[in-house]
Amino acid sequence: MSKKRMKGNRSEAWYGFAYVIPALIFMVAMIGYPIIYNIYISFFDMTAQSIGSGNSVFIGLKNYITIFQDPTMWKAMKNTFFYTIFCIVFQFVIGFAFALFFSRKFKAARYIKGLMVLSYMLPMTVVGLMFKFMLSPSNGIINEILVNLHLVKAPVEWLLNEKTVMWGLIIANTWVGIPFNMLLLSTGLDNVPADIYESAAIDGASSGQRFFHITIPMIKQSILSVLILGFVYTFKVFDLVYVTTGGGPVDASEVLSTYSYTLSFETYYFGRGAAVANVLFLCLFIVALVYLKLIGKDEVN
Amino acid sequence: MTKKIRNVIDTIIALIIAAIFLFPVYWIVISSLKSDTEIFGQVQTWFPKEIHWENYINQFQNKSNTANIFVQFKNSWIIAVGSTVLSLVLSIPAGYGLSRFKMPGKKGILMIFLTTQMLPCSLVLTPLFLIYNKVGLLNTYFAPILATATISIPFVIMVLRPIFLECPKEIEEAARIDGCSHFTAFLKITLPICKSGIITAAAFSFIFAWNDLVYSITFNNRGDLLPMTSGIYQFLDAYGTKWNMIMAYGVIIVLPIVVLFVFLQKYIIGGLAGGAVKG
Repeated sequence: MSKKRMKGNRSEAWYGFAYVIPALIFMVAMIGYPIIYNIYISFFDMTAQSIGSGNSVFIGLKNYITIFQDPTMWKAMKNTFFYTIFCIVFQFVIGFAFALFFSRKFKAARYIKGLMVLSYMLPMTVVGLMFKFMLSPSNGIINEILVNLHLVKAPVEWLLNEKTVMWGLIIANTWVGIPFNMLLLSTGLDNVPADIYESAAIDGASSGQRFFHITIPMIKQSILSVLILGFVYTFKVFDLVYVTTGGGPVDASEVLSTYSYTLSFETYYFGRGAAVANVLFLCLFIVALVYLKLIGKDEVN
Repeated sequence: MTKKIRNVIDTIIALIIAAIFLFPVYWIVISSLKSDTEIFGQVQTWFPKEIHWENYINQFQNKSNTANIFVQFKNSWIIAVGSTVLSLVLSIPAGYGLSRFKMPGKKGILMIFLTTQMLPCSLVLTPLFLIYNKVGLLNTYFAPILATATISIPFVIMVLRPIFLECPKEIEEAARIDGCSHFTAFLKITLPICKSGIITAAAFSFIFAWNDLVYSITFNNRGDLLPMTSGIYQFLDAYGTKWNMIMAYGVIIVLPIVVLFVFLQKYIIGGLAGGAVKG
C-alpha cells in the first residue's frame, strides 16, 4: 500500500469521527457516566440526608443485602418476569397471526395494517388510564362485555384485586405491543420468496407443513429479534404500572423499575434505588448479550 | 373473478380486525363526549346520547396554577421540540459519519448506540437526578429535554444509517470536485436527497419526547414545568374517576401524535421496521 493511500485513509477517519463525536460525547455523558455513577451510588449510604450533609459512607454490599431482605424486592422480581413472559407470549402469538393474515396479498392490507400501528405510538400514560377506565369493575366496558357474553358471572376487579392486577397490566401492554410484533414479523414474511410456497404446494405440502417447515425457518431471524427486543422493551416497564396501579394494591403489581423509583424518589434511599436498578440492568444485560451474539454480528456488518 | 371476491373478503376481515383492535381508541373519544350521568351509568352506551363538549371546554377554563392545561400544553411542546432539535443536530451527522467514512472502532461505536437504545430509563434515573442536582439542572426544561434526547439519538442513528448508505456517494463527490467542502456537500446535497429519513427521524424524536412522563416528574417538581402526560395523571388524583374529563384530556394529549401519524404514516412505519430491527 502506498504512503499516499494510507494518509487518505487517516484523514477519512478523522472526517468520520468529526461527525460522530458530538453524539458520542452526549451519549457517554448522559448514559455512560450515569451507569457507572449508579454502580458507585449503590455501594454508598446515599440518602437525601447524607447528601445534604455531604458525607455519604461507603457501605459495600449493604444496599444489595437490604433490598434482597425485603420481600417486596422478590415480589417485584417475580412480577417483572411474569409480566414480561406473558406479554411476550400474547403479543407474539397475536402479532404473528395478524402478520400472517396481512401477508395475504390484498390491496388494502398495507394500509389497514399501518393504521393498527397507532396503538404502539400512543403515550403509555394515556394508554394506562384508558385501560384503567375500561377495566373498572363498576363502569368498565371490558367487564360489561365479559358479563354480557356470560364469560364471567360478576365483573372482575382486575386492577383492584391482588390476584388479577398483573393480568390487567398484561392486557394493556399486549394491546400496545401487538403492532410492533406484527410489523417486524411482516417484514420478515415479505422477504420469503413466494415461489418456495408454490413449489411446496405442488409437492403436496399441507398448509401446516408449509408453516412449520418453510415459514418459521425462513423468518427465524425476525422471530428471534422480535422476541428478544420484546423482552427488553417489556422488562423495563415503568409508565404503565406507575400510572395505572402505582405498584398496588399494596405491592401486588410492584415491578423492578417502580420499586427502584419508590426507593429513590419517595423514601430517598438513593443507594437502594440504584441497587435495584442495577439488578434490573443485570437481567437485561444478559438478554442483550444473547441478542448481540445472535443478531448483532450481521446487522453491524 | 374469484380473485376479486377473495380480495373483498380479505379486506372485510381486515377491517373487522382493525375495528376491534382499535376499539379502545374509539372508546376514549366516545367517553370523552359523555355526560357525568352517562359515564357513571350501570350500562355503558356505545354512542353518547348527547354530545357534551363541555368536558373539553371545562379543561380550558381551569385557571389554577398547578394543573393549568395551557401551561402543560406549552411545556409539552417546549420539551418535545427542544428534544427533537437536539436529537437531530447530534444524530444526523453521526448517522452520516457512520455510513460514509471508514474509521477504526466503527463497529464498537455502532454497538454502543445499539445497546444504549435498549437501556431502561430506571437505570439512569437516580444517577441523573443526583448529577442534575449538583449542576443545577433540576427544575429546568433542560432536564427532560436532555434526558429524552438520549432515547431518540440511538434510534435515529440506526434509522438513518442505512438510508445514508443507500444514498449515492457520487453526487457528493461531484459537488466536492466543484469546490464544495465535505460539510457543505453533506448539508446541501445529501440531506435534501435523504429528506424522507430526516422526516422519520424528526417524527420519532418528537413522539418519544412528547410521550415521556418519567423524566419530567422525576427531575421537575414545579407544576409550571410539567408536561401534559403528567397533567393527566395529576388530574386523576384531583378529580378521582371523572372518566369523561380524563378521557377528554387524553384525547388532547394524543391529538398531535394522531395528526403526525396520519400524515407521516409511511415514514413512521418504515422507521419502526428499519430502526427497530436494527436496534
